[in-house]
Amino acid sequence: MRFLMRRLGFYLAAFAVAITLNFFIPRWMPGDPTTRIFLGLRGKLTPQAMDALRASYGYDGNLWDQFMVYLGNLAHLDFGVSTTNFPEPTSSLLFYSAVWTLLLVGLATAISFVIGIGMGIYSAWNRGGFFDSVFTPVNVMLNAFTPAIVALILFYAFSLQWRLFPLGRAHDLGIEPALTFEFIINVLYHATLPVLSIVIVTFGSWHLGMRNTMIGLLNEDFVALAKAKGLSDQRIRYRYVARNAILPQITALALTVGYVLGGALITEYVFNYPGLGKFTLSAIQARDYSFIQAQLLLLTASVLIANLISDILNLILDPRLRSRTQE
Amino acid sequence: MTELTEAMPPQEAVASRPATPGRKAPSRAEIAAELGIKPPPRWARGLPRGLVAFLTNKKGMAGVIILTIIVMSAVLAPMIVPHDPFRRAGGPHVAPNAEYLLGTTRVGKDVFSQLIYGGRTSLLIGFVAGLAATVIGVFVGVAAGYFGGRIDEILSFFVNVVLVLPALPLIIVIAAFVEQASPLVIGLVLAVTGWGFAARTIRTQTLALKTKEFVLAAELLGEKKWRIVLMEIFPNMLSFVVGGFVLATIFAILAEAGLEFIGLGDPGAVTWGTMLYWAQRNLALEVGAWWEVWPACIAIMVTGAALVLINFAVDEITSPQLRASRGVGRVKAFLKARGRSVDVF
Amino acid sequence: MSSDRVLMKVRDLTVDYMGDFEVLRAVENVSFDIREGEAFGLAGESGCGKSTVAFALARLTRLPGLVTGGAIEFGGEDVLGFTGDRLRAYRWREVSFVFQSAMNALNPVIPASEQIIDAIETHTGKTGDAARKRAAEMFELVGIHPDRLDDYPHQFSGGMRQRICIAIALCLNPKLIIMDEPTTALDVVVQRDIIEQIVALKAELGFSVLFITHDLGLMIEFCDRIGVMYAGEMVEIAPAEAILTAPQHPYTRALGRSFPPLSGPRVRMEGIAGSPPDLSELPVGCRFAPRCGEALPLCRHAAPAMISYPEKRCQAACHLLQ
Repeated sequence: MRFLMRRLGFYLAAFAVAITLNFFIPRWMPGDPTTRIFLGLRGKLTPQAMDALRASYGYDGNLWDQFMVYLGNLAHLDFGVSTTNFPEPTSSLLFYSAVWTLLLVGLATAISFVIGIGMGIYSAWNRGGFFDSVFTPVNVMLNAFTPAIVALILFYAFSLQWRLFPLGRAHDLGIEPALTFEFIINVLYHATLPVLSIVIVTFGSWHLGMRNTMIGLLNEDFVALAKAKGLSDQRIRYRYVARNAILPQITALALTVGYVLGGALITEYVFNYPGLGKFTLSAIQARDYSFIQAQLLLLTASVLIANLISDILNLILDPRLRSRTQE
Repeated sequence: MTELTEAMPPQEAVASRPATPGRKAPSRAEIAAELGIKPPPRWARGLPRGLVAFLTNKKGMAGVIILTIIVMSAVLAPMIVPHDPFRRAGGPHVAPNAEYLLGTTRVGKDVFSQLIYGGRTSLLIGFVAGLAATVIGVFVGVAAGYFGGRIDEILSFFVNVVLVLPALPLIIVIAAFVEQASPLVIGLVLAVTGWGFAARTIRTQTLALKTKEFVLAAELLGEKKWRIVLMEIFPNMLSFVVGGFVLATIFAILAEAGLEFIGLGDPGAVTWGTMLYWAQRNLALEVGAWWEVWPACIAIMVTGAALVLINFAVDEITSPQLRASRGVGRVKAFLKARGRSVDVF
Repeated sequence: MSSDRVLMKVRDLTVDYMGDFEVLRAVENVSFDIREGEAFGLAGESGCGKSTVAFALARLTRLPGLVTGGAIEFGGEDVLGFTGDRLRAYRWREVSFVFQSAMNALNPVIPASEQIIDAIETHTGKTGDAARKRAAEMFELVGIHPDRLDDYPHQFSGGMRQRICIAIALCLNPKLIIMDEPTTALDVVVQRDIIEQIVALKAELGFSVLFITHDLGLMIEFCDRIGVMYAGEMVEIAPAEAILTAPQHPYTRALGRSFPPLSGPRVRMEGIAGSPPDLSELPVGCRFAPRCGEALPLCRHAAPAMISYPEKRCQAACHLLQ
């Protein structure tokens, strides 16, 4: 338990850093958001209205009071009023779009992890062979192709040219959102290309990570002992090598969630998918700063939760961590 | 135990037994020839081992050659480009022809000129941001690993925070407040957010090196700490530093392109990212002007691929296990040719 | 206990390491026999190729190492030619291995029970409870309470982990156990305990042992015969007590002088001057000649052959004996 408590403490501290950054970034920048909105409206706003706006954004009073108000609002999940969807609160649009982003990220991460780890195991076991020599470098290169480009290619080929997949949206308009088979299939159909784009640029790192960790383990005495015991190839591969090699991948999995989220934001933009990325970009156009800041906090929280889950998984899979917690 | 030896019968000379027809091994030179192991080429002799290993690594050198071509064309851009990349040079969306090698954009700018010119900014920002991130990472990593204790705790906390904070969303927030971030601002932000991985690797390496004999010996001799770090520790993890630099550069180039693509960059700058941004805004794909989109895509992909190849070579140099994997095929052939079981691990 | 029937016959064994730019010969043309019930020791400075030989005999040579020549015969069969099921049976049913570091020899993330039971289940018909019962017996044999079967490796002390490794090595009653510095990583008291236990078990079960250790005194006490290696070659094979009392090869003599005597007055120990040659730049002629106080001009250009001296019950490779 001590291990988990320590990690939890770290995540809370990290979240505090994110909150603080989020508070200070706009205040460090030249001209606060309200001034910009004011200038953007070119005198359509009276100075009195300007003050009211400033107050509603929490930019009045001294810095410390501002910070306290900001923290108080956060505690109520109050991210302020959305200027794009006025007078809707920011949180409603935020949580609506976050659902779609997390769907993309979750699906893509799971698929990419399974494919990558599988290929990594195969290529480590047949290292130096045809598959390993060709696909290890190729898959890792796909990593360097960036979600933007892969999404563009897929969008061009499958949506524009061959019309096999939709041009946007998370589901057809005519279909009632409900937990029906038809709806789920429709959602998956719309998510296919965005998810595929993310999978293509991420599975290579799992392939390489698992392969290299396994090859490193082949030099360990416990693998030599397993081999010396005359165990079957299968047993050595999965129980003695892959079993241990998966642990660092689970740790890495949590760390890459942030990267995958970034990729998802760009992918959504290309596929016109109604997730956080698309709305964040509209928010930037519309100078909806509450939304921009709220998305950072939400995504940070998601990454931290993913890290916590990976800690728990590691705790289940690694007896060494368990006994350290009993100390 | 003496009882055991006394019970032994008089020894018979082993050599006088009918020896098994054991095949004597071929000479070392013959083995080397059969397994394709060559001595370093003459020009490489006398260079440090790690450098020779890199220079003779096929993947690594392929990456270096590709990257050199791209960098050279960017450096020499003013001498190469046929048109001014910032001004209209012809009609809108002219398809590629002899005058406009890669066609023109919707506003009639020459795509080829933009591509060559855009490489300048994209590569410069990528390399500078990658370098800055690596420098920060090395400083933090070495300090945390070498000094340990409280310093390590504090620095490791920041390393972990940088690792878990989602970089791209954070950059989006910063870029949004800066409004139209210039490539320089983007590079700066990428450096500040991208040093976590380098710091973590370097810290681990420093911890491992700290207990090595030559470092302990230097400490006993009363060498100054900064001298030990500079002369003993740093040179021995150079390949990890290079690896960290390559990864940070890949990340910076891709992230810069991504940010500009979604419109957070300065649309007036000419970079691969802004080229994609304008192509997307002008619906180039939808109207069939594919040449406005693909050149920048391919440039980014090829640059990324070249860096990945270099990183592969660095990985192989730092890990003897990975290096050995390259020869597995030949070892298997060696065993097969002799009718022996092929059981390599 | 040891008979004169040969269990394992090693001839001209050669093991190469594939470097980046050259091939290094870690072991060259090494020949010796291990007899049934015998404890055969391999002595020599670190880096002389002892462990490389041990790994090769168990068919465990790992990349970048490769057995490039010679033959290993076990009960008349060609070990290097074993494949598939025959190889799996050779591994552990006939030859088992105790590694230097028990810390690294057990997989840290699976319970000890599984690591002994899987060997039993793979090679005997026993499954489930029967295999578990056998594992519990083995634990008791090496003095660990069977209640601890399902503990993970890190929950045991270093000495206990090595006992577990010995239990695993014994669980199929193999004919030969290769012990590669089995006690080096342990403290002196635990070391004694474990060696005494191995001696008792060997008397009871009658297996042969290939024993490697840095501790020459321990080796002489435990082994029947000892082979001395230098720079990848065998230089002398002799009955254990003769290594100290009647060494033939100058290197054996030097090695003996560098260890404190087991009894009698303390004398100053002499190290061996110089250091072993770099494998990539081996001297011409006898490899020990550059460090040998008695080297003849002949020694520096002709490599001596291994010749047997029946009257001294030994074999040695040295021009001085001619």
